[in-house]
Amino acid sequence: MLNKRIGAAVLTAMMLTVSACGSNGASSTTEDGKPVLKMAALEGGYGKEIYSEVIAEFEKQQDVKVELTISKSIEDEITPNMKAGKYPDVVVLGQGRSSGLTETLIKDKGLEDLTGVLAAKVPGEEVTVQDKLVDGLIGTLGTNPYGNESTYLMPMFYSPTGLVYNKGLFEQKGWEVPTTWDEMFALGETAKQEGIALFTYPTAGYLDSFFFALLADVGGQEFYDKVMNYEQDIWQSAEATQVLEITTKLLSYSSDTTVAYANEQDFTKNQQSILDNTTLFMPNGTWIAGEMGDAPKAEGFAWGLMPIPTLNEGDDRYIVTSMESVWVPSESKNKELAKEFVAFLYSDKAAAIFAKSNAVQPIKGIAEQLTGENQSFYSVYDAPQVKALVGGFVSTKPVEGVNIKAVLFDTANSIISKQKTAEDWQKDLNQASEKMRAAKE
Amino acid sequence: MNQKKGRSKFIFLCVAPAFILFAIFMIIPTINVFRMSVYKWSGFSASKEFVGFDNFRILFEDMVFIKSFQNTVLLLVVVTIITMSLALLFAAIMSREQVKGKDLYRVVFYIPNILSVVIIAAIFSAIYDAKDGLLNGFLGMLRLDFLQNMWLGDQRIVIYSVAAAMIWQSVGYYMVMYMASMSSIPESFYEASALEGTGKVRQFFSITLPLIWQNLRNTLTFFIISSINLSFTLIKAMTGGGPDGSTEVFLNYMYKQAYTNSSYGYGMAIGSIVFLFSFGLSLAVSRITKRETLQY
Repeated sequence: MLNKRIGAAVLTAMMLTVSACGSNGASSTTEDGKPVLKMAALEGGYGKEIYSEVIAEFEKQQDVKVELTISKSIEDEITPNMKAGKYPDVVVLGQGRSSGLTETLIKDKGLEDLTGVLAAKVPGEEVTVQDKLVDGLIGTLGTNPYGNESTYLMPMFYSPTGLVYNKGLFEQKGWEVPTTWDEMFALGETAKQEGIALFTYPTAGYLDSFFFALLADVGGQEFYDKVMNYEQDIWQSAEATQVLEITTKLLSYSSDTTVAYANEQDFTKNQQSILDNTTLFMPNGTWIAGEMGDAPKAEGFAWGLMPIPTLNEGDDRYIVTSMESVWVPSESKNKELAKEFVAFLYSDKAAAIFAKSNAVQPIKGIAEQLTGENQSFYSVYDAPQVKALVGGFVSTKPVEGVNIKAVLFDTANSIISKQKTAEDWQKDLNQASEKMRAAKE
Repeated sequence: MNQKKGRSKFIFLCVAPAFILFAIFMIIPTINVFRMSVYKWSGFSASKEFVGFDNFRILFEDMVFIKSFQNTVLLLVVVTIITMSLALLFAAIMSREQVKGKDLYRVVFYIPNILSVVIIAAIFSAIYDAKDGLLNGFLGMLRLDFLQNMWLGDQRIVIYSVAAAMIWQSVGYYMVMYMASMSSIPESFYEASALEGTGKVRQFFSITLPLIWQNLRNTLTFFIISSINLSFTLIKAMTGGGPDGSTEVFLNYMYKQAYTNSSYGYGMAIGSIVFLFSFGLSLAVSRITKRETLQY
């Protein structure tokens, strides 16, 4: 959702901007002989200062000069130079942007292998980068894009999405937060007695965090990857059937206004129903605390985020995680220094600076450094059996008239209003998936 | 001879700016729409692949497009009939009857037309609100609870909810247009017919309607084109084509395909169909409604 908006903004910017060539960066040392490291970063919601502060810390430690280029449309600023052979040394930019610069470099094999950084010691500390990172991120398609052992994209910032609820309400009622689907549906019945609905979603598009996690919960990471790669008849499999059955059952517990409000104009009313204690859960992400910051809340309201329930007690619980990455172009002139800088980004000093601006890195124990809602949101990773899940559908050549995400998510509206059945849904998904597979190279 | 040449030059210079602008902003883009519709292009990459009429072939198998086409036609029919009837009715009442506060009504009716579509969407989202909306509240007050509905959530009626908003938006504008042409009909016609004992309804169908027919024809064509546009903007702001495609119209679908599904060429194929459809429809309406012009 958010990505789409950012994408649209970037698109507009790209159309309007006639890119002017930036600095001349052929030399990689300053006049007094210091090596120069060129860093490019996407200016996200955290502001520019965090990078300047981190760079200042690095320059204190090492005798280098770091030149920073930061912009909301960083692709426009660095691509012209890259085409002319002047590459930045370190780039902070995730996948899934409309320009697809990261994806293009992945396809062109233009990234430097950063597997070595994982085993390297963090500059100024005694631990390795690997030791500090949260489990479950390295080795996914988000970091190892070729599906092998080599890591090309280091996870930079991450944020969890899951089921958002009011912790306060659960305390007041003395209810346990459900961990399995049986408990979830039992809670649905209990809540119904009190006139509270179990589930809602802002718009159907928000179901991404729910669906991807459920696919991995039910069939494991391997099954999830197959679905994301459009494997033949994957939607006809027993696992997929089970996923759609659980979802259909969950949707039957949704609040009666869900579909009526599930549009751009009214979606906040669905979100408000959580704050009003008329609904228990909705799929959402960490930005919700800011988005609904000024909205009226029920007494004792406290933000809570949980992974979606699992089939059996003790199963792996996946948390769909959005991730920005840092990478080094293979054309970089200062690869070794760049790798050292990347490792430095995981140091305690850097992490503290980032955390201050709520830019949260996938570092163990980071939740302790956070305050307020963020502490509550990120502590979701500390629960047992929780694993981060990164990625989404594998990108293919565009297929005219087929949007598998729309089929997967929007159909939920028709399921709630009983215009379609789970079988129709499965059939449509299979059809869309087959068409996408045909377009995959 | 020289003077004539100078005159032609002057006319040419006067017309040129308008013609150049028209060519740049209307003719060339229209040609481009048709040209792009035979390519497979993401809108970004440098490579365009010529695919002939492939996009059109896919189009006629695309159920979402067919649904969006049906919705557009439904909106055109429903909205046109109701808007035109209401506008004519109100115009006849306002121009022929002695209504108190006529001028005020005229302004009130016209106001929706100057509101931005986003505001209209917001107003109707408040009216249709499932819990504390104006409409459900009003029905509850009248003890008509069984008529209460999820106006934007029930897939069977949501398209009519959108239609109602479109009608509300445009009635006033056409009413004012018809009032203008009705007021120019000589009063003596009505007096003569009254003397022969004609009722108000008969007067409307035998005098008013035939004499404003030319105006009606023009506004009808105009209305169809603007409804196609309005349905897109309103749906974009109000429902986004949802729930699950039940209010999808073809311009919204074109936008989605071209800009969010990276299928620019396919979007332009939809654009070509929309162009041909609205062109054909206007032509048909103009032909069907052709009558001998009555002079008075």
